[in-house]
Amino acid sequence: MKKKIISIIISGLLAVTVVLSLAACGGNSGGGAAPAGSGADNAEKTTFIMGIDPEYPPFSYLGDDGKYTGFDVEICQAACDKLGIELEIFEVNWDNKLIQLDAKECDCIWSGMTILDSMKEAGYVLSDPYFDNTQVLLVKADSGIKSSADLAGKDVAVQLGTSGDQLLSSDLEELAATFNSVVRCDSFLKCFTELDGNAVEAVLVDEPVAKAYINEHEGFVILDEDLGGEQYGICFRSDDQALCDQIQGAVAELVADGTYKQIAESKEEYADLIPNLIFLQ
Amino acid sequence: MSLWTMIGLMAGGFGKTCAIFFLTLLFSLPLGMVVALLRMSKVKVVSGIVRVIISILRGTPLLLQILAVTYGPHYLLGADVSKNKLIPVVIAFAINYAAYFAEIYRGGIESMAIGQYEAADVLGYSKFQTFIHIILPQVIKRIMPSITNEIVTLVKDTSLAFAVSYQEMFTIGKQIANSQTSFIPFLVAGVFYYVFNAIVDFVMARVEKKMNYYH
Repeated sequence: MKKKIISIIISGLLAVTVVLSLAACGGNSGGGAAPAGSGADNAEKTTFIMGIDPEYPPFSYLGDDGKYTGFDVEICQAACDKLGIELEIFEVNWDNKLIQLDAKECDCIWSGMTILDSMKEAGYVLSDPYFDNTQVLLVKADSGIKSSADLAGKDVAVQLGTSGDQLLSSDLEELAATFNSVVRCDSFLKCFTELDGNAVEAVLVDEPVAKAYINEHEGFVILDEDLGGEQYGICFRSDDQALCDQIQGAVAELVADGTYKQIAESKEEYADLIPNLIFLQ
Repeated sequence: MSLWTMIGLMAGGFGKTCAIFFLTLLFSLPLGMVVALLRMSKVKVVSGIVRVIISILRGTPLLLQILAVTYGPHYLLGADVSKNKLIPVVIAFAINYAAYFAEIYRGGIESMAIGQYEAADVLGYSKFQTFIHIILPQVIKRIMPSITNEIVTLVKDTSLAFAVSYQEMFTIGKQIANSQTSFIPFLVAGVFYYVFNAIVDFVMARVEKKMNYYH
């Protein structure tokens, strides 16, 4: 009798599992198919999937309410509202972001992303730049390091796949050769932890990220040295020019009606961004 | 970037992959035996504590344990983060794999018939001698397939070291894949792992055959 009850319970559980997993599959393929449409059916697009690095404050990060927020996310949300399409957020793996974009896991990469020549060469559609960025070195205030020359023989951390990472193997190659090693972490949090834990002496990072970090943590300074100017933009797949124009048009409207400025001034964390926002010049 | 440059760069990282692999085996195989014996201890407190530790190590992801060993001391105690990432990585791997090996050893030891202990006792073997000369050789033979399973898994798990930016082969492969927007490095990584595991398989099959002395 006991055995019978147990076998009934087990078969019941199995049945539930099968049904649930089938339902999950159905849901996935349904959800995946709709936004997967490429350039041709943009007109009917109802969801726009924004690819972000969820660990990139103040542009894109997990807010206190457990939802993604940040300057880029808010602008994108406002643009989608204008266009009457639904915004969906996809967390990309920053060092695989272009592969994930090609795989149609998202419709764009929009997360404080530096426009690189290599992206243009590879045929990606890029929006007009919206932010002037510089690469800076963040060091501990008590380290006595005053310039990049003081970093000879020291260890420097950089986030994998960022423009800083690329700079160290191109324009800043000579400087990088003086370092003892370049530690490539898969998130900025890890870079900063390495710095805080004395495993590295400096972090090469985008200026706004460094400023955001300094605002929340004491004992760090940004070296007064501009290691490379660059601009942020939005990256779309090579056949998505129409989508790029559509989004860009909506952003231009936001700039025109003042919403853009309003968002930029809405949060304390965005204050440092304003002088570098190209559309507000 | 040519295919050969890619393979060259990844082969450089493969040395670091091998370092994790061999050091982990070196530490975890003996440590597993110590843990297994403590787990079977007649002292309830000892076996209880070890049981909880094994349960934690098997019940949480290895990735989490690597992060905990590397950055935990810094966040909890304010200690410095190790510059040489191989140290925390090997510590995390060795502890994790020791927990699995311990359970495999225990399974092997407990599968031995009680009659063997009785016969050894009659023949005048001490407890220690019984374990070393009679029980252990049979246990090793019996658990070989399970050990091979774990070793093969270890080869693939080495890629988890990317989490603390240890530049092993797969980490480098990912970097190349990103900078070249190419899928080829992943295929190369697959081939590296497969060939390594084919060698492991071959060696372990030879070892098993060598130990097949009663058949």
